[in-house]
Amino acid sequence: MFDLMIIGGGPAGYVAAERAGHKGLNVVLFEKNKMGGVCLNEGCIPTKTLLYSAKTYENALHGDKYGVYGDNIRFDFGKIAARKDKVVRKLVAGVESKMKLHHVTVVKGEAVIQGRSPKGLEVTCNGESYLGANLLICTGSEAFVPPIPGIAEAGDIILTNREILALKEQPTSMVIIGGGVIGMEFASFYNSLGTKVTVVEMLPEILGGLDFEISAMLRDIYAKKGITYHLNAKVVKVEGTSVIFEKDGATESVSGEKILVSVGRRAVTKGFGLENLSVELTRGGIKVDEKMRTNVPGVYAAGDVTGFSLLAHTASREGEVVVNNLTGRTDVMRYDAIPGVVYTNPEVAGVGLTEEVAKAKGIAYKVAKLPMAYAGRFVAENEGGSGLCKVLIGEKYGEVLGVHMLGNPCSEMIYGACMAIEQEMTLAEMQEVVFPHPTVSEIFKETIFAF
Amino acid sequence: MAVVVILPKQGQSVESCIITEIKKKKGDTVKKGDILFSYETDKASFEEESPTDGVVLECFYNDGDEVTVLLSMMVIGQPGEDFASFLGNSAPAAPAVEVAASASDATPIVEAAPVAPAAVVASAVKETASFVSPRAKNLAATEAIDAAQLAGSGPNGRVIEKDVQAVLEKRPKLTPLGKKIAAEEGIQPTSGSGLAGMAKSNDLVPLVNAVYNVDFEDKKLTNMRKLIAKAMHSSLQNSAQLTHHLGADARRMMELRKKIKKAMDAGTLTTNITLNDMVCFAVIKALKKFPNVNSHFLGENIRLFNKVHLGLAVDTDRGLMVPAVRNADDLSILGLANQLKEVAGACRKGAIAPELLSAEAATFTVSNLGAYGVEMFTPVINLPQSAILGVNTIVPRPKDLGDGVYAFVPYIGLSLTYDHRSLDGGEATRFLKQIAVEIENLELDIF
Repeated sequence: MFDLMIIGGGPAGYVAAERAGHKGLNVVLFEKNKMGGVCLNEGCIPTKTLLYSAKTYENALHGDKYGVYGDNIRFDFGKIAARKDKVVRKLVAGVESKMKLHHVTVVKGEAVIQGRSPKGLEVTCNGESYLGANLLICTGSEAFVPPIPGIAEAGDIILTNREILALKEQPTSMVIIGGGVIGMEFASFYNSLGTKVTVVEMLPEILGGLDFEISAMLRDIYAKKGITYHLNAKVVKVEGTSVIFEKDGATESVSGEKILVSVGRRAVTKGFGLENLSVELTRGGIKVDEKMRTNVPGVYAAGDVTGFSLLAHTASREGEVVVNNLTGRTDVMRYDAIPGVVYTNPEVAGVGLTEEVAKAKGIAYKVAKLPMAYAGRFVAENEGGSGLCKVLIGEKYGEVLGVHMLGNPCSEMIYGACMAIEQEMTLAEMQEVVFPHPTVSEIFKETIFAF
Repeated sequence: MAVVVILPKQGQSVESCIITEIKKKKGDTVKKGDILFSYETDKASFEEESPTDGVVLECFYNDGDEVTVLLSMMVIGQPGEDFASFLGNSAPAAPAVEVAASASDATPIVEAAPVAPAAVVASAVKETASFVSPRAKNLAATEAIDAAQLAGSGPNGRVIEKDVQAVLEKRPKLTPLGKKIAAEEGIQPTSGSGLAGMAKSNDLVPLVNAVYNVDFEDKKLTNMRKLIAKAMHSSLQNSAQLTHHLGADARRMMELRKKIKKAMDAGTLTTNITLNDMVCFAVIKALKKFPNVNSHFLGENIRLFNKVHLGLAVDTDRGLMVPAVRNADDLSILGLANQLKEVAGACRKGAIAPELLSAEAATFTVSNLGAYGVEMFTPVINLPQSAILGVNTIVPRPKDLGDGVYAFVPYIGLSLTYDHRSLDGGEATRFLKQIAVEIENLELDIF
């Protein structure tokens, strides 16, 4: 009899297992593939490894701006891919050793929920039956490939995040359907390596949900680097290597050696016996409350399978909320201070309300924004680079509502804004915080003083 | 010559009244017979007329005040007239509520008249607010706590830093934004949904809905509501009541009802006799056969009445009233019907004599919800009475008519709540059955 059974070893599942094991719970975790889930194997980590290779290559190419010259600068696509695999292997092994350290029973195989028996919740895997008092479902999500005519016939021309990471050779050209975070990160990578990249986006702007102004700035930067964009473009057909789309009433076509489909992800709610528990679903995934409880007592869900805030760090925190409540610490999931990062070069990072959302919700706010060049360190390290820091505060009390940045390395400093929002700090408190000098993070402080 | 208008004592048991409306304010000119103010006792409302022509020189109370009977309400005289001598300087400046307890016997007007209105006294008491130490004040200000509201533990009840800290220990940690809002709106969090249980701004506003603001209104109870609440609660707390339900064949009553309607159409009958009148008539007959039910339970003894004083529960705009028809056993069906109509009408108009409303005035009560379709209920006894009969609606029920023939017959439901301290189940059941027998064999001498 286990205290907690976890299906799925991604950032929700393995973090929950680690925390629960650490607190002394008897935990079993089922994983049909490799530990770490999409994040570690087909998402966050491999893409960041690739992007760092691309960034290093770009820095070397443009060293002249900093007075550094290199000759015969080149890259080896095979080696880049091999290093990515090595990093992933290393981190997967790291997760596995964490499971051992916290006495988590890891079962490799496809788990199937059998239902509730008088002895507890029952899950079978590899022909064995497991009983537990609680069940945490972290089955994650998978790339959604819309039923566009011709997409099935296009065969291995069509890629999702999974296939693109397994490419052995660099394509000379690529069409990316969907200019969201995943689309833009791969666009950035292949653009840096010299692949001809075209992004086809259905909405008026790339990176939907992020600050509109910053998204437009990033789009401009990459347009200058050579990416072609088709916005407001609805893909109607795929013909081999060609993507046919409608834009402003006209039909246009672009082609590429490979076509990446990155229009969104779907929660995985089928194939593991979820229906045996009568768990309530929403359109997006499993319905949960603020403590990640489903409608079935003792059954929880965390991560992408809930269908919203599809981010690894959301997933981990959701898993922690479940474990905290199971171990006697009241905890609720909050979504108002979850950061979002795009690891392009330059990076985009944001947390809290955007101006667009604040306006839509009728929240009275004030905004201040400064170019990144107000931070000395940024100027020193980004020759000819531009960026932006934008801070939203509440009109009446001056609490930090949202912070949005464009410019390296904003992914590393956005957490400061997360803490400010989590703690509902106002201008008065922020003004008394000491930031290290010289760092790019000082742009946050500068923008605070711009109010 | 100025005249003092006192608050009249309406009925022996009335000790205070609520002033519902002051109709003539200080400085108003009045004529003899003008309505000066209206007031209500526990069960009825009244208006006071001006005894003379003149000007309202002084009015001592406001709308909604509870005033002890026989105290001075107003002084009426000629403008500029000195009326101080009327008030007497010996009268203590005490709020009316405090006087209420001792003023049950008729106090001479002049002595009881308060010099200062109650409101002034009340505000004077409030001014002795607690002293807050500077350290406590500083801490309270940064933590958004209203220190003046705390019970001080320092010398002479001074609020000291420790008192503020004690509040902070019980309160979840508050975010900077939370503190600002708490200070401005004077609200405190009870739970925290933020980091490690820290209270966020949205933990501060659980009672206020953004769309509807507060979704409730605190309404002060009327005097009457208070009295009903007190009587009903004390009845359930201080007696051993339970209810028996039984049905009576209503065919006889319905047949009589038809006849009555016909007679009224023909003009041979002028008083409408309702089903309720007939049930009451039957109840009175049954009570005469069960004297133990027609009683008051007084703790040490049971008072058995020779006469039946029948209480009738009446639903009015201001709440439940139970007037009594005295000596109901002397009345014919016509007399009973007329009297029941009269007392019910007087209650609805607010013109019922207060002494008829006291629980002691009746020996047994009937509460009829049949007209609303109620099929069964458990009426609450009007203590010290021993029982109350609930009358329900008429429903068709299968009945064995003999020789294996079954038919649906109209039955009227009867719910008898009795105080088990006075009566035992056997006697209560026999009494209830007797009512049914009386109903089933009712004879009216009106045709």
